[in-house]
Amino acid sequence: MLAVFLLYTSIAGGTPQLRPSQLNGRTGEITIVGQVVAPVQRSGRTIRFRLKDVEGSSSVRLPVTYTGSVPDMFKVGRDISLKGRLRGGTFLGAPGTLVTKCPSKYSSKKT
Amino acid sequence: MPELGRAALIVCLGLAVYAVVAGAIAAWQRRQRLAESAQNAIVASFAAALVGSAVLFTALVQNDFNFVYVADHTSRELPLGYTISAFWGGQEGSLLLWLLILTGFSAVAVLLARRSAPSLLSWTVPILGGVITFFAFMLVAVSSPFATQAAPADGAGLNPSLQNPYMLAHPPMLYLGFVGLTIPFAFAMGALAARRTDELWIVVTRRWTLVAWTFLGFGQLLGAHWAYVEVGWGGYFAWDPVENAALMPWLAATAFLHSVMIQEKRGMLKIWNVVLVIGAFVLALFGTFLTRSGIISSIHSFTESSIGPWFLGFIGIVLAGSILLVLARLPLLRSKTRLESPVSREASFLYNNLLLVAFCLTILWGVLYPILTEALRGEPVTVGPPYYNFFLKAFGLPLLVLMGIGPLIAWRRASLRGLGRTFAWPAAFALACGVILVALGAGSSIPGLVGYTFCAFALASIVLEFVRGTRARHALGSSSWPGAFSSLVARNRRRYGGYIVHVSIVLLAIGIVGSSAYDTISDVQLRPGQSMSVAGYDLRYRGVEESRGANAQEIRAVVDVSRGGEQLGTLRPGKNRYFAEQQVSNEAAIRSDPLNGEDLFLIADQIDGDTVFLRVLVKPLVNVIWIAGFVFLGGAAIALWPDAREQRRLAVRYGRSEALARA
Repeated sequence: MLAVFLLYTSIAGGTPQLRPSQLNGRTGEITIVGQVVAPVQRSGRTIRFRLKDVEGSSSVRLPVTYTGSVPDMFKVGRDISLKGRLRGGTFLGAPGTLVTKCPSKYSSKKT
Repeated sequence: MPELGRAALIVCLGLAVYAVVAGAIAAWQRRQRLAESAQNAIVASFAAALVGSAVLFTALVQNDFNFVYVADHTSRELPLGYTISAFWGGQEGSLLLWLLILTGFSAVAVLLARRSAPSLLSWTVPILGGVITFFAFMLVAVSSPFATQAAPADGAGLNPSLQNPYMLAHPPMLYLGFVGLTIPFAFAMGALAARRTDELWIVVTRRWTLVAWTFLGFGQLLGAHWAYVEVGWGGYFAWDPVENAALMPWLAATAFLHSVMIQEKRGMLKIWNVVLVIGAFVLALFGTFLTRSGIISSIHSFTESSIGPWFLGFIGIVLAGSILLVLARLPLLRSKTRLESPVSREASFLYNNLLLVAFCLTILWGVLYPILTEALRGEPVTVGPPYYNFFLKAFGLPLLVLMGIGPLIAWRRASLRGLGRTFAWPAAFALACGVILVALGAGSSIPGLVGYTFCAFALASIVLEFVRGTRARHALGSSSWPGAFSSLVARNRRRYGGYIVHVSIVLLAIGIVGSSAYDTISDVQLRPGQSMSVAGYDLRYRGVEESRGANAQEIRAVVDVSRGGEQLGTLRPGKNRYFAEQQVSNEAAIRSDPLNGEDLFLIADQIDGDTVFLRVLVKPLVNVIWIAGFVFLGGAAIALWPDAREQRRLAVRYGRSEALARA
């Protein structure tokens, strides 16, 4: 049973989940998890912003370009996850994969 | 007031600890009076939890912002209904709800079992007490709902996506389900500890398991419907860790509900049943842990809270304790009978169990995968919907076929030729459906076509079973066909209630297949006056409307809908800007077609001035999923309905062993 799952996950593969500081020029498909840093520029359905590590003191600010639907909760300071690839130093998000994580879903005070 | 709440919880904790200690001593030394005192402590702990809950409830209704919990989760503008739902909107409140339901269920179960199965209670009471102790301790020492502060002018308000009627019912239902699984677990462990390895614990807890399982199932459907109409991304289930957290114990409980029938009829699968009931309970705890610990990132996740390690510790204790107990009683649990043939009713139950458990483990593996890979490789790797969808097809489709075969196949040993005769009609019906569907163009999705053919097979064999049964009753002298049908169901509620639940699962499958395999999605940017067409619908965008609601600014894109020249009305997808919470939420607009169950689903992704970015989804048959929910409830209610004849039969069967145990 376990072997089947292992086999499936090793063939079809999952998506590695990384922080901006861990990216180091990797170009495969990954899910990036980070905190949105200002400014956020919008043009039509495309938004551009930077991501930093949620925790730790890394100074990496990863530029991100994303086109597609943006969740209600998206704003500067939110933690988000986004699937996509690194292209020429900019992380290109796949449409519809932007997910905001609320640090605390039920108490909006602390956000 | 907060002092009263705190005191009530401390009393509850004290009573639970007493139930553990006194109950264990009483069971050890067979002291009847002390055992009854421990039972009373369980009942009294419910009263204490009730007082604590009443304090929080009153504080919420009165907007008493001296309570940190009330200030964090409500505001003055919040309507009363949602102020009440804030009871379970936060961590401390939901733990209190856990405790309230747990003590309530335990009290009723103890009082009922006093009469029907006193010999089981001796060790069950300390086990129930142990679970209550854990939750009461969490509320007293780790996560108190009665923390106070200097009252702020207004509260922080409730998260807008929770301001929905579904949130009044969905979380409590899931809790009723999660907590309900404690009862069969406690009785199973109590029976093992008392060396009673017959089916009495199964008979005593059958209704508890059914009730918990029904709430868990219906609660999940409510959650799915909430996600569909309120979260507004156009789907109803996303394999999110928290959704999985509720699905796993439900699958384990489903397997358990089926496999106990084998133990009742044939005395087999005793160890398996105990393992399943432990699994279901531990998965329910694990589900609460997942939602509360923030260990796995999900859209539902909460702050990394202090209760995670406590839960993990408790799960570890429960798991270790129950496994040790099962190992110690292993010699007593050996089956008297063996499987006679791989083609029989028993075998088909066994296959169904293996598939359900395999699917449950699939989900567990997917949920744990990021944690495992992070531990092994240093970076978490997540598996997404493709992983789950693959295994849903791999295990779900055979389950549909088994659901058709199981009820019609003979016990012990069935001949292959007899099988062919029995299933000629359903198979022919399924094939005919397949051919018609291909002619209608359903061949565009092979999994969809296979799914529908299997659904047709299962449905046909269930109908066949009902037809046969009704005929038999009619032949026995029932005056009319409807009379024969209703007496058939009434005389064997458990069985035919179960078949009706099977029908609901087929309906669920039909809805899921239709809305996922045959949907249409299109994204379009529209300016006022512009039109678009999708899947037969014509949409014309008129412009933006703004209005002020009770607690939010409401912005709507006005879209006229028509099909083939016929006006179908106006839809208003848009966004709400909440004042107190300073948040925006998407408000999707849905048009349901009552004739074919199809939904036209509009999302205003973005509104720039008067330009709207519209996402249009057409989801065929999605409404069948919600209908399935009601059929599910109906079937479960029939299976649960008290049956005097059955009670008498069981009383005769277990009365003798009960008298022996007492002697």
